[in-house]
Amino acid sequence: MTEELLATSAAEIADAVRARRVTARSVTELALAQISATADSLNAFTLVSSDRARAEAAAVDAAVASGRDPGPLAGVPYGVKNLFDLAGFVTVAGSKINRTDPPATEDATCVERLRRAGAICLGALNMGEYAYDFITDNAHDGATHNPHDLARSAGGSSGGCGAAVAGGLVPIAVGTDTNGSIRVPSSFCGIWGLKPTYGRLSRAGSFPFVDSLDHIGPFARTVEDLVVAYDAMQGPDPRDHACAQRAIEPARPELENGLGDLRIGTLGGYFEKNCPPQARSAVAVVANCLGSAVGSRHIEIPQAGLARAAAFLITATESGSLHLERARTRAADFDPKIRDRYFAGALTPSAWYLHAQKFRAWFRSQMREIFRDVDVLIAPATPVPATLLGQETMSLEGVEMPVRPNLGIYTQPISFVGLPVVAAPVHTTGPQPIGVQLIAAPWREGALLRVARVLEQSGVCTAPIARLAA
Amino acid sequence: MVRSLLDDSGMPEINAPTIVAELNELHDCYERALAANDVPALTAFFWDSPHTVRYGVNEHLYGADAVASYRQASAPVFTERKLLRRAILVIGQDTASIMCELSQKIFGQLRHSRQSQVWVRFPGLGWKIVSAHVSNALTASPGSTAWDSYVDQTAAALGLRIDGAHRPGVVQSLQRTATIAAPLLAFSIPDDAELAPVFTP
Repeated sequence: MTEELLATSAAEIADAVRARRVTARSVTELALAQISATADSLNAFTLVSSDRARAEAAAVDAAVASGRDPGPLAGVPYGVKNLFDLAGFVTVAGSKINRTDPPATEDATCVERLRRAGAICLGALNMGEYAYDFITDNAHDGATHNPHDLARSAGGSSGGCGAAVAGGLVPIAVGTDTNGSIRVPSSFCGIWGLKPTYGRLSRAGSFPFVDSLDHIGPFARTVEDLVVAYDAMQGPDPRDHACAQRAIEPARPELENGLGDLRIGTLGGYFEKNCPPQARSAVAVVANCLGSAVGSRHIEIPQAGLARAAAFLITATESGSLHLERARTRAADFDPKIRDRYFAGALTPSAWYLHAQKFRAWFRSQMREIFRDVDVLIAPATPVPATLLGQETMSLEGVEMPVRPNLGIYTQPISFVGLPVVAAPVHTTGPQPIGVQLIAAPWREGALLRVARVLEQSGVCTAPIARLAA
Repeated sequence: MVRSLLDDSGMPEINAPTIVAELNELHDCYERALAANDVPALTAFFWDSPHTVRYGVNEHLYGADAVASYRQASAPVFTERKLLRRAILVIGQDTASIMCELSQKIFGQLRHSRQSQVWVRFPGLGWKIVSAHVSNALTASPGSTAWDSYVDQTAAALGLRIDGAHRPGVVQSLQRTATIAAPLLAFSIPDDAELAPVFTP
């Protein structure tokens, strides 16, 4: 019975725990067993914090027993990308180099907030080294496998998150997204992902990648779960300089409000040209479902290609600078596939970086203009569904190109200016799922999540547990 | 054949023709052994002594054993190796210096390389290399890009040591960055555009 419960949703688990139909402890034990059973096939978790999980479960069960409110995520197991601090453990951030660091002394802010909401932290999830990848093929911890097809990538750099949720190990995971690292795994693994507005969720207690572009966000198999996790993590935090001083704006209360007067449009130009058929179909299926809210609204963003170039420059230079001392002293210990990029990034002329920052201000004003006439934009999340592990090239409408840097072509220009995005899973356009981006103006996550809920209710966007892992 | 080794002023003979020819031949043999990565032959060219020294592009080898180990462990990384110019200097009968400039591709990058060798003829052993030095010119030579020397100079300025084997990857990465950046840099933005988030003290 608990087995079926784990396969439902966080909301149902929390309900059952609060109503004493099941203990947090029993759900935890089941999740731990599932993680253990899939350790080799999926390689999603790099750290299983079973003692901590059991202690947290005991605390939740004690709260329930004594009539205290255990929180909206009572007894819900979750995992976090292994760049988040978990007290008592070393934060490896997918690297070998960090392994010699001392253990974290306190939890990351998002972990602490999820704990207060009653959720149970099962451990840390695999990622691409220092987040500079779209595949989660980690030189030190191995590749994470896609639960829908074990020969395929789970996407990156939050691949462990994608696999853990799509594989039914945990209903919720927390990852990060700088140029696409929540949206690409969501697309590849066919689950929901939320990259909120830049500055919405505190990044405190997470190992950085690109300070100008890093976001954190949740993954889930239902929109309601995504929202409950998102709401639980919201709130200002002085420990993250980029975290906005905004009051919590819960998305849960308005989730069932439907499309209302929302104006929705599909993105053309850069997001359509040479876009392969399955990605195009997924966008079409989503747009059709939203019907008259979309109508014929079709929008082109000026210079989206330059936005991607600028995001690339900012990424290369900030991460190169971040790792400069490591490059001086531990060069041999980097992932050899990624190392040269840090060196090159550190050596990139500053005039280029500054030009990219100026362009960012320009592009932000272009997007503000666009959002005067539309509320939500639809675009593909990835050009192709999950690629095979080890695959080096892919063909986009007859043009052969390397896989790794090009998985982010549609995600990068959007995160470049911190716009909130929901990655919506579409399982009906091919043998593998693929994601669609729902994009809004800054701070309008509520609108996005309402649209996501409509798509979920219609059956167009679903996130079933992968049959291979079930 | 007995010939006087000294000219009238007591100077040893410079560049005795037969010995120059002999060393030309030996150096050609050495090049052939390099091309074939004939490790035993390459090792045998060097004087088997702890006094032998070889400086490579990234290695400093003291003693014949170190040179031999290096040969064993290294795989050839050059292609399209061409001798550009060779200067052989023979002093007397048993001492020579062979200097040459070469063009080759290392990890696909065109390099202008230099090789210096001091050869000595030992009784019973024949001609052996007692010291050698190999380096690549830093300044632009036909085919090399500005990025090669840029990487060397800026890495040095940042105190960043780049392993010879990794350097091509870093150069390639920068070249790729330059290609990606080009259209962005060509896009003009007004001078008063905001450069970065406003810093609040």
